[in-house]
Amino acid sequence: MPPPVQSQRSPSPSQPSGKSEVSDLKLQLRQLAGSRAPGVDDSKRELFKKVISYMTIGIDVSSLFGEMVMCSATSDVVLKKMCYLYVGNYAKVNPDLALLTINFLQRDCRDEDPMIRGLALRSLSSLCVANLVEYLVGPLGSGLKDGNAYVRMVAVIGVLKLYRFSSSTCIDAEFPSILKHLMINDSDTHVVANCLSALQEIWSAEASASDEALREREALISKPIIYYLLNRIKEFSEWAQCLVLELVTKYVPSDTSEVFDIMNLLEDRLQHANGAVVLATAKVFLQLTLSMSDVHHKVYERIKAPMLTLVSSGSPEQSYAVLSHLHLLVMRAPYIFFSDYKHFYCQYNEPSYVKRLKLEMLTAVANESNTYEIVTELCEYAANVDVPIARESIRAVGKIALQQYDVNAIVDRLLQFLEMEKDYVTAEALVLVKDLLRKYPQWSQDCIAVVGNISSKTVQEPKAKAALIWMLGEYSQEMQDAPYVLESLVENWEEEHSAEVRLHLLTAVMKCFFKRPPETQNALGAALAACVADFHQDVHDRALFYYRMLQYNVSVAERVVNPPKQAVSVFADTQSSEIKDRIFDEFNSLSVVYQKPSYMFTDREHRGQIEFSDELGHLSIGGEPSENVVSAQRVDENDKDLLLTTSEKEEASGSSNNGSAYASPYDNSSASAVGSQTRAESEISNQSATGYSSQSASLGIEDLLGLGSPAAAPAPPSPQLKLNAVAALDPSTFQQKWRQLPVALSQEYSVSPRGVAALTAPQALIRHMQSHSIHCIASGGQSPSFKFFFFTQKTESSSTYLVECIINTSSANAQTKIKADDQSTSEVFSTLFQSALSKFGNP
Amino acid sequence: MLQCIFLLSDSGEVMLEKQLTGHRVDRSICDWFWDHVISQGDSFKSQPVIASPTHYLFQVVREGITFLACTQVEMPPLMGIEFLCRVSDVLSDYLGGLNEDVIKDNFVIVYELLDEMIDNGFPLTTEPNILREMIAPPNIVSKVLSVVTGNSSNVSDTLPGATGSCIPWRAADPKYANNEVYVDLVEEMDAVINRDGVLVKCEVYGEVRVNSHLSGLPDLTLSFANPSILDDVRFHPCVRFRPWESHQILSFVPPDGEFKLMSYRVKKLKSTPIYVKPQLSSDAGKCRVNVLVGIRNDHGKTIDSITLQFQLPPCILSADLTSNTGTVNILGNKTCSWSIGRIPKDKTPSLSGTLVLESELERLHVFPTFRVGFKIMGVALSGLQIDKLDLKTAPSRLYKGFRALTRAGEFEVRS
Repeated sequence: MPPPVQSQRSPSPSQPSGKSEVSDLKLQLRQLAGSRAPGVDDSKRELFKKVISYMTIGIDVSSLFGEMVMCSATSDVVLKKMCYLYVGNYAKVNPDLALLTINFLQRDCRDEDPMIRGLALRSLSSLCVANLVEYLVGPLGSGLKDGNAYVRMVAVIGVLKLYRFSSSTCIDAEFPSILKHLMINDSDTHVVANCLSALQEIWSAEASASDEALREREALISKPIIYYLLNRIKEFSEWAQCLVLELVTKYVPSDTSEVFDIMNLLEDRLQHANGAVVLATAKVFLQLTLSMSDVHHKVYERIKAPMLTLVSSGSPEQSYAVLSHLHLLVMRAPYIFFSDYKHFYCQYNEPSYVKRLKLEMLTAVANESNTYEIVTELCEYAANVDVPIARESIRAVGKIALQQYDVNAIVDRLLQFLEMEKDYVTAEALVLVKDLLRKYPQWSQDCIAVVGNISSKTVQEPKAKAALIWMLGEYSQEMQDAPYVLESLVENWEEEHSAEVRLHLLTAVMKCFFKRPPETQNALGAALAACVADFHQDVHDRALFYYRMLQYNVSVAERVVNPPKQAVSVFADTQSSEIKDRIFDEFNSLSVVYQKPSYMFTDREHRGQIEFSDELGHLSIGGEPSENVVSAQRVDENDKDLLLTTSEKEEASGSSNNGSAYASPYDNSSASAVGSQTRAESEISNQSATGYSSQSASLGIEDLLGLGSPAAAPAPPSPQLKLNAVAALDPSTFQQKWRQLPVALSQEYSVSPRGVAALTAPQALIRHMQSHSIHCIASGGQSPSFKFFFFTQKTESSSTYLVECIINTSSANAQTKIKADDQSTSEVFSTLFQSALSKFGNP
Repeated sequence: MLQCIFLLSDSGEVMLEKQLTGHRVDRSICDWFWDHVISQGDSFKSQPVIASPTHYLFQVVREGITFLACTQVEMPPLMGIEFLCRVSDVLSDYLGGLNEDVIKDNFVIVYELLDEMIDNGFPLTTEPNILREMIAPPNIVSKVLSVVTGNSSNVSDTLPGATGSCIPWRAADPKYANNEVYVDLVEEMDAVINRDGVLVKCEVYGEVRVNSHLSGLPDLTLSFANPSILDDVRFHPCVRFRPWESHQILSFVPPDGEFKLMSYRVKKLKSTPIYVKPQLSSDAGKCRVNVLVGIRNDHGKTIDSITLQFQLPPCILSADLTSNTGTVNILGNKTCSWSIGRIPKDKTPSLSGTLVLESELERLHVFPTFRVGFKIMGVALSGLQIDKLDLKTAPSRLYKGFRALTRAGEFEVRS
């Protein structure tokens, strides 16, 4: 009903605003109420229509209650119907006025026209007003005994309404036992069906309170009742058949011959025109044969054709509901549908939710014999105008590739996608090629050749870019220019907005470094520096982690970051088989459409939205397998996120690190180092990227981090001062010293225009100063003002120099504050620093 | 068990609300629903079953009217959808079509119908024949009748006899001076032809429609010459199952008037009546299109109202298309439709022209799908043939008529 003023939509200008029209109507109704003039019914009808249309559009007309009731003393059925409608809507709001209607409703319940008796009884039982319950019992009692089936049918439902409203009144009047009697003895199937639905509800609700009700509920699914209903099933209306069939699914036959009897009896229901009946029958068949596996499979065969017909004959909405069920069957027993794959081909006009289901089914039914045709079909969708579906079909091709043994032809198709020059096709295909390579490393030759031709600039989507970068890192040995591509990507670090891509980039550069150190060291240094300065916690943490690993032992780092991989044999399934079984048990219910067992979406109501999302968050962070099913499914729901990190997990599978935030416990070391510091201070830990010292002397680490590439200029020779190229200082020591030492020298000088031009990002200067053995420990700021903290050490002693350098590019000057352990040499250092700085920007 | 049914206009306005249980559903759910639809862009794109924060919603959209049903309990989804489809069928049958105005004008009838079709959230009677006996349709005849007789109620006085009879689809004893029964085979051909011109899928969905005006309780048997070609069949409740199972004979007591006796599917057909050969070749920012249409194998019947429709890809700036037969129209939403009508004897219809692509594109990467429409009177392309129709106790005068018709269903040709 429209409760007063609940419509949030503002009434359109043509709609009456309410007040004056309502009082107008009131007046007119009043005039007509007593009149017995001929034709008065027609004018009443017009007025009633107006009242009801106001009610429908949400205007409160409850103030007319009295007048409406007065006018309803009529023999006109349509008037009565409108009046019943009105009364039903407003009785709850006006319980006192509703009392007025009792009289005429009760009188109508004794009318000689069964139609009116029925209608009045229906309205009377719909009133739902507490103080009127007592008036309902009498008419219901006589209604149940009425000679006309229509009235009995209405009365049975009336009993149920009464029960919902006041269960004690209903039980006290012994209505349930009357219903039971009617159900077994009434000649009219509508009455029987209504009794069944009423009793089911009443007994189920009572069962918790009384043992008798429990017994009665059990009795409903006892053999005699079930057989009685089944034998009459063809007489029931199609909707009642659904009800009976639903009841039969709960029945447990005593032996197999009984199962066959029931199935024989119901077989023709599968041919029914009503899809609901067909599905209900299918459910009975499936449930009855659950324990008989060979018959169960024959049932699949049997219900396959009717369901496929339902899909192709109904409206899109019906198709969808049936398809959801077929989807379930296909997932459970794909082999049954191997030859029916053409039914799952998408039609151009179908809504995308139908196409999506079909694509999943096509993926599931692909086997050796039909793969070629299915993949051909899917490839046609890839050029579809409907972009989301085009994407899904490419993904489907990939999934098929991953589940087949003979992927020869599919790989070619995928590679063709890459050459289609459509950005989203390329993007999807890249992700697939990546997964494919993880499962079939033997294809790397072919794939890499094609992937190598893709310019990283044309790929924009994070997932695809991440995939491409992963391949660059993984196959850097085979791809000639991998280090250079990675390097150019690192240079554009600032433009990369997706943390996922940055993470992948870091890892890829690491991998590349292990394979081709000389070509990658620059890029790795830059990447680590950029990562540590990254605002994203995961990126930052992973960079620190890598750095510390390198620091600890390079070969260990390689084992962790780039372990020999085993091909993935099975990718984690999206839904556990247990969940699938649960959904299957709820065949022919909403669960199937949602692809979740009912407790998952019904529970949410009780739990509330916020808690739900909390749980999600918790689980994705924990990432550990949960014991209870509910949360296991939550993880599944979240599996997109999980998949996102799968690749990382795999990279680190040997060493139990997955490097992402999800594994924060492993980052304890860096966390504690950074832990107590503020964010600004933690930037100081930047030194880890650059001022890296040397206990791990293997490979060219010093080279990488201290001296730059061999081509880079050696540290400027200074007679007075030799600086240690691989000086090390940790942030806290730096801080401590900075606080303790006085400022030895404070200077200001101009920066060359070339230097200004080169200083677009702090990293550029940091790299430059490094080549002069002056290491940056922290940097910050944005154009035009940058701030750096540098430090360096003398080669012969551990005496250190600390520099704060503020460079303003707009005014082209630099302010430096130098502090030194050995104050006497600060002058010398200052000139050294100045000359190093002045060379910045020189080619 | 449904709790409430709403009828929404195409602007989201609640035209009608029918509460079905004591558990009232607040109208605000419609606002939620409408916001949801808008967020999906198009009601056609949103799913038929939606979970709102408070209710599960079933929606069926017909002619711009959204039939929305709410429930809070688990129930068979197809029952909800199927019921809403029936409601829309019955309403459009009663009101002679569906649109906002006709529903607002006749909302009393809609209420009455809903009252009889569903009670307490459980569907009752959806058989149109029976409903028509309880509630008279608002047609001219009944209006004239009410003026003449002075009985202005459009509710018949009699109660449907069938509610108590064991043949729920048939009203009690109608009487006809002329006993007539007509059987129509109506088939739709669904076909997919792929880029290489290979027939990927071709099947026929067919219906046997019967229009019967027979007195008393007629018992009919209908048999086919070649029932073995049928892949799957579905029957009206009146069809007896055993005779079909043993001899493939349809034995039934028909409802009065028009009804769908049976629907069937015939799979794996080998050929289509017409061919469509699209050719697209693109070069230097332009795409040449050439489409040929012709008759493939002659059924001896004329193929009528041949149409071809396709959606131009979004990357196309302009299109210049002409044909040697029929007319070509390009609609605002970039749908190109070519209506050919009949194929002339002397020439092969062809559509040709150029599409201009967006400036940065060299070649076309997204290819349109051509949807083909046609109609053939007098033949059922599945090959199904009616053998004979018998009436057990034949009245003195009986007219029997058979017709067949095939039209294109989802007939698509990819390029």
